[in-house]
Amino acid sequence: MLRYVLTRFAIWIPSVLVVMLAVYALAFYGAGDPIKLIFLRAPGDVAYNPQRIEAIRESAGLNRPFIEQFGLYIWNLLHGQFGNSLTSGRAVWAMVSAAAPVSFQLALCAIILTAVVAIPLGMIAALNQNSRLDYAILGSALFLWAIPAYVAGPLLMVGLIVLLPGASVPYGWGGVFDVRILLPLLVLSFQPIALIVRQTRAAVIEVLSEDFVRTARAKGVPEIIVALRHILRPVLTPVVTQLGLIMITIVNGAIFVELVFGLPGLGRLTVQALINSDYPVILAITLIGSFLVMVSNLLVDVLYPLLDPRANDSRRSR
Amino acid sequence: MSFDQSDKTNLSRRNALKFGLAAGVGLTVFGMNARIVLADEGQVLKVAHPAFDQDWSPLRGGGRTFRWNSIWWASPMYFDSQGNIKPYVFTSWESADNTVWTFKIDPKAVFSDGSKITSADVKGSWEVASMPNTKSQRADQVLSKVKGYAEIAAGSANELTGVATPDEGTVVVTLAAADPIFFMRLANHIAPITKASQSRGSDGEEIIDWYKPENKPVFSGPFKLTSIDIDAGKITFEPNENFFGPKPKLARIDITSIEDNVTATSLIKSGEFNAHTELVTSTIIQDLGPEFSAGPLIPTSQHFWFNISRAPMDDPKVRQALIMAVDRDGLFKASYPDGPHKKADQILNSVPGADNSGFEPFPYDPAAAKKLLAESSYGGPERLPKILFVGISAPAIQAAAQFIAEQWRQNLGITAVDMKPQQDAYAGPDQNSVQIFRDDVGTRVPDAVSYLTGSIASTSSNAQNKLGGYKNDKVDSALAEAATKAADDPQRVALAQQAQKAFREDWAFIPWYSQAMSRWATKEVKGLEKNLDWQIAEPWNISIG
Repeated sequence: MLRYVLTRFAIWIPSVLVVMLAVYALAFYGAGDPIKLIFLRAPGDVAYNPQRIEAIRESAGLNRPFIEQFGLYIWNLLHGQFGNSLTSGRAVWAMVSAAAPVSFQLALCAIILTAVVAIPLGMIAALNQNSRLDYAILGSALFLWAIPAYVAGPLLMVGLIVLLPGASVPYGWGGVFDVRILLPLLVLSFQPIALIVRQTRAAVIEVLSEDFVRTARAKGVPEIIVALRHILRPVLTPVVTQLGLIMITIVNGAIFVELVFGLPGLGRLTVQALINSDYPVILAITLIGSFLVMVSNLLVDVLYPLLDPRANDSRRSR
Repeated sequence: MSFDQSDKTNLSRRNALKFGLAAGVGLTVFGMNARIVLADEGQVLKVAHPAFDQDWSPLRGGGRTFRWNSIWWASPMYFDSQGNIKPYVFTSWESADNTVWTFKIDPKAVFSDGSKITSADVKGSWEVASMPNTKSQRADQVLSKVKGYAEIAAGSANELTGVATPDEGTVVVTLAAADPIFFMRLANHIAPITKASQSRGSDGEEIIDWYKPENKPVFSGPFKLTSIDIDAGKITFEPNENFFGPKPKLARIDITSIEDNVTATSLIKSGEFNAHTELVTSTIIQDLGPEFSAGPLIPTSQHFWFNISRAPMDDPKVRQALIMAVDRDGLFKASYPDGPHKKADQILNSVPGADNSGFEPFPYDPAAAKKLLAESSYGGPERLPKILFVGISAPAIQAAAQFIAEQWRQNLGITAVDMKPQQDAYAGPDQNSVQIFRDDVGTRVPDAVSYLTGSIASTSSNAQNKLGGYKNDKVDSALAEAATKAADDPQRVALAQQAQKAFREDWAFIPWYSQAMSRWATKEVKGLEKNLDWQIAEPWNISIG
């Protein structure tokens, strides 16, 4: 397993380098000079002095050739230096390390909520296939799937204010045990729940026709035991794979949720960095995102044998 | 295999009761939270701030954080909400030749620790604001004519040689060229007065985060910074008990970053917040009432600028046709039907000379516009290249741009129009295509020459970038001559008016609106009047209820 993990890391490093080169090139050559943006954003007769802007660019090292800047960035990265924000001057590492825990906690809660809600619902729908309950669950899942976070967030928030006059707007971050986490968590979980419900339902329906299920039932095993012991276990393998992938999309895609509900996470930081063309920050977030992809995939791979011993056997046989 | 599915779709009475109980508990939890928040209110100004700013240094001279500088820093002088100049740290100013200026510091002026504000602090504050690493966005605007500024701004020096401090209560400024309105340029918070020994390192550069409470800074304004959590976007100010001006009425000011306008509107409606840094939505009047965004007009205006060096704007007849084909009354109604802004016919507003300027508004004449387009080198709409706008971001701006495009379609038959939000796209991939920039221009001093110098003089950013290198010798010479006249000389205004009239003949912009400086505060908030620099003119007067 250790060799497997090391191999994955070895593959990950060049992949990340290519991704970062692409991101750096996009930020460097694309629209949005960070120093110019600082000046352009101020209203009114901003003193647009090209000499002064050039002096600022020089002091920030932004007038060097692309490859030199990128090389320096990678060199600093190898020495544990993520650099400083181009707009605020703050250490990027401090900014990212303040934001990342919020996103990770939120994503973890969303995954737990998704698993707790969606897997049972998917099973119930499958076990009641083509009934009204099945249609209701599937219909609700489709409905949730169709609502993007940037619509659901403001709608729920405004709805809360309209329905409950005097209620406070759930804005800000107070940790996972704070009541304000409920709405962002719901909004963030809508689409994953819909996805996992449909996937669990489909997987359970497939397993229901397997011989071992029929045998268990023929032996008179109680239905609840059949469902939990015989059906759920094989179903979990693809579902956990999907949950791992969802974890990545939740962390990376929580931009609107974090903006609407004022959560100081990576999504909010990403938006700010993009608006400012603050590429040391964008690169650090990209690095974390790609690291997360790799770790999630690794975790899923490690979990496979625990969920389905056949996966372990097949690996050994190779 | 057989599953009994008959009862699974029915919700039992017991389950319905359980569901009801759970919903009740959920709603109660939210309700309790609401009461806790509301119980916290009082004389606390709670401000929603629309950006997740990472830099609150008062020396930046621009950006949204700058708009709160007046609550925690004192400036040399300030303009009140009526545009009158008032003494602050400086009690007097005089110059015999408009080149050497002498300023006297209020002997009562002290920092929050009780220490005197000295001429050395003033000089040091200006110097650090001028250093390139400080990234001050508008130090130029205040200090560019001071001797030594050019060297500091270029990074080759760290001292303003034109500023002398003969004693701790006197500042003598020598300019590289005469400037009759130099005293007006100082009357703002662009380079606020800080304790130089705290804000500036031995190398002359700004000390990072020197203003944060953990570094025990002292403040010169009516409030002091007591907590800042940049990562969470929260910042708190409390009264400066040693403030040398009137005693502040508020107990606290809380500023919280809330980027989403829907959320901010909800928070203000629910009473959890009572002010905003800049809330611009198309339904603001309906959502929060007319008082919320009411305010006096300031010397800033928004227009659609033509890049005259790019096709098809390089043909004056095309420009004229495009302008004459737009009903500007309709344009204004499409964007701000309920205010708070006012339709603009010219560039100047809210400065001496803005009224009766002699600038004849562009006419709306679709038939003449069509004829002009046919007479142009393009011969009609078919051969025009696609017209591309940038700066089309907020909903009201989108409405205005779409109105213009529709007028061109109806009146001229032009269909190829594209709009992009990026304001700086001329530096990006569309740089060779953009012909129209939606942007504001303005001035921070109530002076027509300063306004037009930053808008249409060939040296201005607007002329160089958005107007595509615009240069009109009549405009430049009139403004250059006007700049030598005293602030109260009628010729100063007359020459500025001449420059504006000369600019009109080049048909280079579609006038849109003159900007009102909105309060962005609920009607319960009193004394939050702002000046032409977007600063609260007298923050000590703010009260609630």
